[in-house]
Amino acid sequence: MVLMNRTRSLRTKALPMYSQKASLYPSSRCSACAGRDPVPGSRGLSNDGGMLDPGLRRDDGLLMKLMTAMLVLFLAMTTANSVQAADHTLKFATLAPPGSTWMNLLEDWGREVERRSEGRLELKFYPGGVQGDEPDVLRKIRYRQLDGAAFTGYGIGSIHSPARVLEFPFLFDSYEEIDHVRTELMPEIEAGFRDNGYELLGWMEVGFVYFFSQQRIEDFEDLKERRIWLWQGDPLGQAMFAAGDLAPVPLSITDVYTSLSTGLIDTVYCTPLAAIALQWHTRLDYMSRLPMANGIGALVVARRFFDQLPPDLQQLLRETGAEASRELIRATREDNATSLEVLREEGMEFVMPPESLDRDALLEMRDQAAAQLTEDSYIPRSLYERTRELLTEYRSAPAEGTTATHSAHD
Amino acid sequence: MKSPHSGRRGPYLLLSALLLLGGCSMNQLVVRSSMGLMEQSIRAMHRETDLELARAAMPANLKMLEGMIAADPGNARLQLYAAEGYYGYSFAFVERSDPQRAAGLYARCRDYAAGALERTGFTHDLTDTPLRELESALQQAGAAQVPALFWTASCWAKHIDLNRDDPRSIARLGRAAALMQRVLELDPDYYHGGPHLFFGVYYGSRPPMLGGDPGRAQEHFSAARAVSGGRMLLGEVLQAEFLDRQRMDREAFHERLSGVLNTAVADDPAPLAFANQVARERARWLLTQEDAWF
Repeated sequence: MVLMNRTRSLRTKALPMYSQKASLYPSSRCSACAGRDPVPGSRGLSNDGGMLDPGLRRDDGLLMKLMTAMLVLFLAMTTANSVQAADHTLKFATLAPPGSTWMNLLEDWGREVERRSEGRLELKFYPGGVQGDEPDVLRKIRYRQLDGAAFTGYGIGSIHSPARVLEFPFLFDSYEEIDHVRTELMPEIEAGFRDNGYELLGWMEVGFVYFFSQQRIEDFEDLKERRIWLWQGDPLGQAMFAAGDLAPVPLSITDVYTSLSTGLIDTVYCTPLAAIALQWHTRLDYMSRLPMANGIGALVVARRFFDQLPPDLQQLLRETGAEASRELIRATREDNATSLEVLREEGMEFVMPPESLDRDALLEMRDQAAAQLTEDSYIPRSLYERTRELLTEYRSAPAEGTTATHSAHD
Repeated sequence: MKSPHSGRRGPYLLLSALLLLGGCSMNQLVVRSSMGLMEQSIRAMHRETDLELARAAMPANLKMLEGMIAADPGNARLQLYAAEGYYGYSFAFVERSDPQRAAGLYARCRDYAAGALERTGFTHDLTDTPLRELESALQQAGAAQVPALFWTASCWAKHIDLNRDDPRSIARLGRAAALMQRVLELDPDYYHGGPHLFFGVYYGSRPPMLGGDPGRAQEHFSAARAVSGGRMLLGEVLQAEFLDRQRMDREAFHERLSGVLNTAVADDPAPLAFANQVARERARWLLTQEDAWF
């Protein structure tokens, strides 16, 4: 099971989706996005054969052959040495399983770093959660057993909780809005990570989160009848449920699948891709079409590791991290679009379209949750206000050929 | 004037009539009369200890099997032999060097096994039937359907495993697991404890957050060990590759694989000779990955 799909790992970069409007709902347009062909390109190392060949053609004597053989041997030895003798090894953990889209892209990133640093910096990956869940990994980074990791909002909340404003429910309407606000807030967020001992190398997404249920849910009131899972220890989720007057069942994520079978819970929230990856979809029949929040993620490295790197390698990590981040975001959006189609194929019924809901009630709920979280300083009020302002500005600016996916959250 | 053979026409006519009644073509007759030979050849492959020889011989045998299936398309036994053969060939010789090709071979393996399953009377569409409906239909499956269920699930799971970047593929893992769950209920000892090995890997290869369960994985690996009396080395190799690695238990990983390499080929039970050699070869490769993984 550990084998990578090499053709995928070496896959060439696909077109970024940034400039395009991506629908949050299953549609034929999404299917076209998901199947978009990658743009061909190569990352192969330059071949030394070209240098040696002309000489061989001019003089094919024994001496030349011998010298060539020695040169090849020398090159082989130096290459082998350079592989073993990386000056810096960045030990990096992720929950992404080997062979998954995320892991393939992270490995591409690792190869790029090694290539461009000429072997001085290598990334050693621990995929598939072998280093434990996010709290475990944070602890291991503190104890210097690991140097970096890919975290979701859950882990990010423990590093620099204000960054979670980017996954605040009912705030963003489209990927464009998210991309715009994130770009604007990035310097501030990066500084926040730095103050807490981490260098933010790249941003990620897990995708838009929806409710999934075993029972038909037509509107928000129906949710009050449901036994909804709450990710234990997640202040953001807690504040939202409290504001919505919902009484969730707090459970560790590891207990969700079993609890769906035993009936302890009958409703969960997650992204379409997660519903499939965790096999929760096999125990659920309805998916609300109301996108709630765009789950965030981040590629981070401990400052104690980052700061001891020479400036050129710091720069390399930042640059390649940003490139990897763009690819990860693009691929996640694509996989989530595909996942919506797959869920439909698997018999999931889509209910609770956003236009059927009382928008004002949703926004009131959001504002109540925001009031709570800003009061607790989980997200500073100033940052929340600034996010709202950036959105207002963006929405009032002349449209750049995009169309709204659904009614704007005010 | 009577032909010299006319006196024997009666029995010939009778035979032809029987053939027609039985719906059997001459090709099918030939195939069925060669089944014994084919089974001997498969048995010889199970006992093969020279992996190079096996690597060279298996493709020809598989093509021979496919020829026989073409001649006798309703022969479920042949389809199961083909499924087992493609699984063994991909696992032993293709998966590591060319995962994409292996995925294609596992798909072929799954399709043969699913064809055999259909022949046993299980006609539910494996991908389109809603999962819970499929699960209740499986409750009607009986002992005779175990081999077809086992190989369909094994090959399907392998195909999914090699397509972990495709949500459509991942979404079907629960279906493969449902088939194997029924095998576990009907005959947990099948194929040297194969259903236990399946669930050992199923629960052992993921973190708890993503549905893994190290405790259950451990139980399944132990149960598989009990079935073969510890002589099926593939079980040890899979436990190291998936569970020990997932637990980051380097010591157990190293010891288990070294243990596999320290067993004597001569001590292998004959039917496990090939599988154990494949296990040794995989153990050797896994040990070369130790520094990178831990």
